[in-house]
Amino acid sequence: MSLDALSGASILYAARRVERGLSGRMISIMGVLSAFIFVSQMLNFPIFGGTSGHLVGGALLGILLGPMAGLLTMATVIIAQALFLQDGGLVALGANVFNMGAISVFTGYAVYRLLGAPEKPGRRLPLAGFFAGWISVVLSAIACALELGISAAVPLSIGLPAMGGYHAVIGVVEGALTAGVLLFLARVRPDLLRRDFAPRFALADWIGGLVLVAIPLGILALAGSSKLPDPLEALLAGPRADHSGSLLSASRFTESEVLLYLALLVLCGAAYLAARTLWKRRGPS
Amino acid sequence: MRHSFIDRYANLDSPLHVLDARTKLVGFTALIVTILSIRNGSPGQFFAFFFLVAILAGISQIPMHYVVGRAIALLPFVLLAGLAAPWKGSEGWSWFLALLLRAVLCLLILVLLTNTTRFVELQRGLRKLGCPRILVANLSFLYRYLFVFADEVMRMRQARDSRRVGRLGALAELRTLGSMLGTLMVRSFERADCMHQAMLSRGFQGEFPAAAPRKFSWRDLAFISVVALFIAATVHL
Repeated sequence: MSLDALSGASILYAARRVERGLSGRMISIMGVLSAFIFVSQMLNFPIFGGTSGHLVGGALLGILLGPMAGLLTMATVIIAQALFLQDGGLVALGANVFNMGAISVFTGYAVYRLLGAPEKPGRRLPLAGFFAGWISVVLSAIACALELGISAAVPLSIGLPAMGGYHAVIGVVEGALTAGVLLFLARVRPDLLRRDFAPRFALADWIGGLVLVAIPLGILALAGSSKLPDPLEALLAGPRADHSGSLLSASRFTESEVLLYLALLVLCGAAYLAARTLWKRRGPS
Repeated sequence: MRHSFIDRYANLDSPLHVLDARTKLVGFTALIVTILSIRNGSPGQFFAFFFLVAILAGISQIPMHYVVGRAIALLPFVLLAGLAAPWKGSEGWSWFLALLLRAVLCLLILVLLTNTTRFVELQRGLRKLGCPRILVANLSFLYRYLFVFADEVMRMRQARDSRRVGRLGALAELRTLGSMLGTLMVRSFERADCMHQAMLSRGFQGEFPAAAPRKFSWRDLAFISVVALFIAATVHL
């Protein structure tokens, strides 16, 4: 919940930053790139043992569009996926935007800039691209494991090594693809890598981004060390219902209960059919 | 190629379809938030929600196999989360069951929302509700060009698959995919430039023009009040 609020705030902030000095060209580029990312996630790459990976694209977007526009574009993709493919769903929308959007775009961009933001096809460009992609994936996986650990869905001792280790391997693909695409662009359309059309990351943005990433991580770290639930979460969720009150926690169902549930299920079906036929007759067509 | 995996039934005509997009956005979001906030709901609450969703689905005239099919497509993700259940002790399975029910309910509501509202209207509703202009513009571009790009990707994939025999090494595979993505990216930049020219020549002023929105009618009022009453009733159930 606190992540939802945070993601919403960061999207609003990014939208304000981008809209200032926005050109129509940028609008079309962002729109088309969000479609590009959405679709390129359909291109699977077989890794091993039947699993497959695909480009996530956060680092790539951060490098090409700059962090703010990149975050917006990534957020669009994630929202669209939640809406239409129901992939990951609205349940974790805020967390997803934070992990795959904010963290991966920002770290991808930061790593690329720290490595000198090379533009020419040489040895440094693929290297910078690779590390940007790899670190962005690993960091968002770690953030995800931290969140899962804090919300007590998956214990931290299991989640952190599992997510971190797995994504350290998966991230190699992301890094390689990011590097490959950057190299290809540097050869074919070098003008796209010169980010004179993308809004630069001003000092205020660096600070804002750092605060954005540091605050939740700080809260998470504090909460993790003190074995308390996420304070913001607790604040927003209010008093938690205790398990003993809920019937679901009674894991043994009696026979009559099962019958009752079956009857209720049938009732739902009947309601569906009734509503359907009722409004079909009354419909204008 | 035809793609209709997103909002196949959004063009039907039912009492749900004619509601204002804002009404549906607010109403369905309120339902989802309520569902997410009942962490340890009683079976009665869950059934009440399923009952409501069933009625809404019936009213919307969306075929049942479609709705149920989408719900089943989600299950693997939830089952993945369920892997954590054994670590949660004796409460684990009830926790997982509640998670599963909540996920399915939210999914059904989303299917209803996207399949009863045309995308243009959804977009206008989001804008009217204060969603940032740039985000809405992005969403609308994504929706419009998704299919173009999906076609392109499928063609490229077909071309790749028809030019290779068996499996290549990991590095060659990566290199191929890298240039495919790169090509796609160059094409998307070029398409963006074309679109920009087209937008300029049609007098783009930073806002997408939209036809007159539907008026807030008694139907919207009825829908909102039913949803509000329902939520109030179930929370106290």
